Amino acid sequence: MLVDDVPHRRVHRWTHLRQHLAGYGFLSPWLLGFFVLTLGPAASSLYLSLTDYGLMSAPRWVGADNYMQIATSDPRFRAAMNVTFTYVLLSVPLKLVFALAVAILLNRGLRGLNWFRAIFYLPSLIGGSVAIAVLWRQVFAGDGILNQVLMALFSYEGPSWIANPSTSIYTLIALAVWQFGSSMIIFLAGLRQIPQDMYEAASIDGAGRSRQFFKITLPLLTPVIFFNAVILTIDAFKAFTPAFVISDGTGGPIDSTLFYTLYLYQEAFTNFRFGYASALAWVLVAIIAAFTALSFLSAKYWVHYDD
Amino acid sequence: MTETTVDATGSSPLLRAFAYAAVLAVSFVMLYPLLWMVSSSFKPENEIFSTTSLIPETFTTDAYRRGWNGLSVSFGWMFLNSTVIALLAVVGNLVSCSMAAYAFTRLQFKGRSFWFALMLGTMMLPQHAVLIPQYLMFLNFGWVNTILPLVVPKFLAIDAFFIFLMIQFFRGIPRDLDEAAVMDGAGPLRIFFKIILPLSTPVLATAAVFSFIWTWDDFFAPLIYLNDIEKYTAQLGLRTFVDATAQSDWGALLAMSTLTILPIFILFVVFQRLLIEGIATTGMKR
Repeated sequence: MLVDDVPHRRVHRWTHLRQHLAGYGFLSPWLLGFFVLTLGPAASSLYLSLTDYGLMSAPRWVGADNYMQIATSDPRFRAAMNVTFTYVLLSVPLKLVFALAVAILLNRGLRGLNWFRAIFYLPSLIGGSVAIAVLWRQVFAGDGILNQVLMALFSYEGPSWIANPSTSIYTLIALAVWQFGSSMIIFLAGLRQIPQDMYEAASIDGAGRSRQFFKITLPLLTPVIFFNAVILTIDAFKAFTPAFVISDGTGGPIDSTLFYTLYLYQEAFTNFRFGYASALAWVLVAIIAAFTALSFLSAKYWVHYDD
Repeated sequence: MTETTVDATGSSPLLRAFAYAAVLAVSFVMLYPLLWMVSSSFKPENEIFSTTSLIPETFTTDAYRRGWNGLSVSFGWMFLNSTVIALLAVVGNLVSCSMAAYAFTRLQFKGRSFWFALMLGTMMLPQHAVLIPQYLMFLNFGWVNTILPLVVPKFLAIDAFFIFLMIQFFRGIPRDLDEAAVMDGAGPLRIFFKIILPLSTPVLATAAVFSFIWTWDDFFAPLIYLNDIEKYTAQLGLRTFVDATAQSDWGALLAMSTLTILPIFILFVVFQRLLIEGIATTGMKR
């Protein structure tokens, strides 16, 4: 579709040549970046993933050993998978539901829509910063705001949610859900696309509110839901900063916040096991690719594409 | 997007009141931690945990003074580092991504579709796949512990997302303008500078603001590339401050947290519409 963008209108030969040159000239920064920062390193990390490589020695070929170890005898990998999947599988649906629910509420023609939209979007914009992770540590600490509020309202003395391995991951999920705003904005844009006359026609046919929601709103929004779900899932797999700051880089307590990317970071930059970490990286790429492929395969069963 | 307060589904007043209450409640819960952070940064230390009130009984900027000089290097220095890095990233992204987007939309050259497909492919590839060799390469160049690994890639259009964003916009610029310029004997360079760029200020502004915010907020790259505290960004400084103060000086920690968010907040207030439209039209992350 790109090639047809430029019409072949009496383009002279020399102009042609000039176009080729100009094309590559303008593309050259990207091309350089592509080879030096993407293609080369990608090939190199594939190779490194098949070696044993630390700071002190040259890479030593070990074949699929790293991958074997990951698959069969790495308890921390299993912990990281557990944490990451819990995080992805809980935070993404919760975020979607929240984003959609609030978008629908806002779409009822509330006054001050722009204000609310901005307020809900703010956390998405700043949510990945260290400051917010610091704040989150405070909110869910033993003497944090959450427990203060619980005490004031219900006289309930809450635990330290961060220091408790069975609740720490949920503080990070809460942090993710708190950032539902950007998905909500995309939902709002999607809701605006639904033609009003469909609702009018449905009302005339006697369809009630909930029926309208399930028969019109939801089906017509499925492409947007799909899009949001894919983007959020990929992002969730790559989450790093909050877990790092909240656990002081350890993924603790007892690996309960050991996000996959955090484990990868530790292997690469604290243990300097570059070969093993490269293998971990490619496993992550494969997982994300598999998830994305599955979503696209599933799309034809539930995503409603009009015309 | 203009404010169209159409009553979408003919809600009854009661239902609408309920929606209003629900939205208000959600906004309050969402904003409360942020407001608490800002207000606590102006409270004396002993007041922070003794009350959930958002209004300081005693107003003091003491925590800011303690925090600003809380590390061996002043936070001012780290803010300067962050600003330099973020501004260079903005320039790099604008220059390199607009060039690539121009090549992809306006110039005809062999292999264009091929490179375009690869460019889309790089957007899908998680950075982790290239992280370690990139690090080793920059280590070899002697670039570790300098800002070069954080800045130079931006001049090589590494954030393909912005290329994509600009392509969408450039496609909307009428081709008649280029053709008229060609008739007047303008070459690709002149068309780029005299027609495309001047008409693209909205998308350039969006890309600039997002570049700044994302670079300012970035934690991972500075974490692996910067070692000396004099070279730290504000994000790294804040994280070091967490370690240094642990639980002992929450006031100072919250004050510095507030300060690191402030530049983003200002950009958010000024460019709110631009940012929200950017999200709505492209589905950009965050």
